[in-house]
Amino acid sequence: MGHGKPGQRQVLESVYSVIALFFILVACVELCDAATVVDVYRLIQYDMSGAQFGSRLANLNHHAGSLHSPPGSDLSRTVLIIPLRELNITFVREYITQKQPLGGLLILLPQMFSPENRETAKSSRETDGEDVLKNVLAELENLLTHSKIPYPVYFAFEDDDIEAVLADVKRNDATGQPATATTGGYKLVVSVPEPKKRASPTITNIQGWLSGLKTDGDTNQLPTIAIVASYDTFGAAPSLSVGSDSNGSGVVALLEIARLFSVLYSNPKTRGRYNLLFGLTSGGPYNYNGTNKWLRSFDQRLRESVDYAICLNSIGSWDKELWVHVSKPPENAYIKQIFEGFSDVAEELGITVGLKHKKINISNPRVAWEHEQFSRLRVTAATLSELSAAPELLESTGSLHDGRQFVNETAIIKSVKLVAESLARHIYGHKGKNIQIFAENSSLAVNPSYIKSWLDLLSQTPRVAPFLSKNDPFILALKKELEDHTDEVNVQHEVLDGVFTFYDSTRASLNIYQVASVTFDLLLLLVLGSYLIVLFSFLVITTRGLDDLISLFRRPPSRKVKTA
Amino acid sequence: MTVFHFFNCAILTFGPHAVYYSATPLSEYDTLGTSIKAAVVYLGTALVKLVCLATFLKVSDNESFDPYQELLKALIGFIDVAGLYFALTQLTHRNISQNHKFQAVGLGWAFADSVLHRLAPLWVGARGLEFTWDYILQGLEANANLVLSISLAALGSLMWLRKNKPKTLIPIIYICAGIVATMPSITSYLRRGLGWYFPEVVGFQLFTSLIMAFISWQLFAACQRPSA
Repeated sequence: MGHGKPGQRQVLESVYSVIALFFILVACVELCDAATVVDVYRLIQYDMSGAQFGSRLANLNHHAGSLHSPPGSDLSRTVLIIPLRELNITFVREYITQKQPLGGLLILLPQMFSPENRETAKSSRETDGEDVLKNVLAELENLLTHSKIPYPVYFAFEDDDIEAVLADVKRNDATGQPATATTGGYKLVVSVPEPKKRASPTITNIQGWLSGLKTDGDTNQLPTIAIVASYDTFGAAPSLSVGSDSNGSGVVALLEIARLFSVLYSNPKTRGRYNLLFGLTSGGPYNYNGTNKWLRSFDQRLRESVDYAICLNSIGSWDKELWVHVSKPPENAYIKQIFEGFSDVAEELGITVGLKHKKINISNPRVAWEHEQFSRLRVTAATLSELSAAPELLESTGSLHDGRQFVNETAIIKSVKLVAESLARHIYGHKGKNIQIFAENSSLAVNPSYIKSWLDLLSQTPRVAPFLSKNDPFILALKKELEDHTDEVNVQHEVLDGVFTFYDSTRASLNIYQVASVTFDLLLLLVLGSYLIVLFSFLVITTRGLDDLISLFRRPPSRKVKTA
Repeated sequence: MTVFHFFNCAILTFGPHAVYYSATPLSEYDTLGTSIKAAVVYLGTALVKLVCLATFLKVSDNESFDPYQELLKALIGFIDVAGLYFALTQLTHRNISQNHKFQAVGLGWAFADSVLHRLAPLWVGARGLEFTWDYILQGLEANANLVLSISLAALGSLMWLRKNKPKTLIPIIYICAGIVATMPSITSYLRRGLGWYFPEVVGFQLFTSLIMAFISWQLFAACQRPSA
């Protein structure tokens, strides 16, 4: 008995390993049998105050169709493949608003919108076609994110495989036989579990503190200047929403400003008499929910010590003009001071800065600019942005077209100079004097490669807050970067409150199968059957003779006679 | 629908074996035991072949045609002939005529080959959604293989079992047996050395198998005459 048990166990273990091996093999086989596998990104699915928006389904198992299919044909079991280059926005709008049935929608985006595309801004800027595509994409995105679509909608990037499939599908459609179960064609399959609600999405604010120099005997708290940028995004496809301009550019600028002032503040001689507070806030697309939470977590003394706050938003693709958005009237002394600080430096840099005043309506829950959250708590604040008008809810927050190649590094460098220089003049009291603190070729110059590398990273990292976990590598990276430049870093985790509910399964693999029709298989069965019959007859005749073959068919009646 | 396709391909792959058994006098003389024995011998031979291939052959990553390796492979392929020899001569068969014995052995041989080499890919591949011609072609290949196996068995039985055959036919018999036995190497050369596609290779196999079957049939008939 003592010997028997280990032996048994060994046998069992070997059986298990064989079973495991078998399952691994089966799994491999299941994975590899499709003709083409394409990465696809699902349209966002979310609820806002109970109303449903976005793509409500994720599973896809239908035949492929194209826009060339005959008009009036039933598309309720067809996945329309529409390349963005051929997309007719009015057609799609009609289709969605009339709630026509559709099996699914697959939108092919040109490669230039891919986050992996590293093409620089200059080389692709020239063509007009791109701007047209960008506008179409923006319109499409706006349409899709603000309607409830009862079928799966996926985005994919053009490549050779899928283009070949599309060409085939188009040819089939053009000949007037749409792909259904009886005529073959291509089948598109995405098998993912039912999308689940993201339970209590967290938003993470990161704050860095750079304390100023206190002279002995000075009992008063030093005044504080806050520089704030919201880092998260919202876009039609959460896995593609990298928001290089909105608001990756603001984050990059904030990090660079933090770096510049950390150099200044590391030396007691050049340490200013202001504390600097750097805030990377989350929840930006949702009325700056994270900023609100962050501000409310301040204690009263800190909040009162904040002299003013500068929010950075979308400063990466402007040419000549930037806007300072404020919610207090321009006559206000603090606003005047901030604006004059900016416009003085802007003049030296050869750019123009405009002032835009937009009153806050307290009863309206919409917070269009980040500074409005400060203003609601009676802290002077302004937003620096290239946008001249306040964006609508969920707009300009990292759309599909907001990619790296449309962001201009020099614009960010200029913005950094503008903010840093005007801040420094305010801190060191050089107001109105023409002193360049962050002059080029000095040790305090803006570092273009630092900006470029951070911009590249941000442009490859989707940052939709509900899909970023608390300890996401990206959040840790931001935290570490601020730790390098500031004295003290705090990370604040909050629950995104309000009316939004998000659903997962944002990316999947699309399997494209070339399928044969049922009629083909029926025909094949007929051919095979007749082949076997012919073979049988041939063999019987050659080996036994024709009479035997005939007698084979005569036997049954003779048996009947016997039984009767 | 895809199970339907699998069913079709399975009919094409294994149907002819069954038809051959039921249509020819094999079924009347109840030679199933002989076929099963031949199939078991095939399994043993395949195992020996695998061991030899694993021992003597280098694993090449690319699909290029290496003459030396292919020659080795062809030599190892002749283990098949040895297995067939064993199945034809050494096994104690029930008292069936030579005429039926070689057919039963060839049938069992071909069936075992089909089951071993084609059933698993068929089960895995033909049930998938993706449609390819591969499994239909593979079924046709199984048909060609059946014909070749029976031809080889017929030639083998002429070589080893029949004592009084016309002297002039002996070299022809050996040449034909050689050609049939090297057929796997020839197709492998066509596919990899000349880069033929699967449909062309299968067409070639079907064509040659029919020719070889005809020749072996004629040879068999010619040997039958003097004894009869």
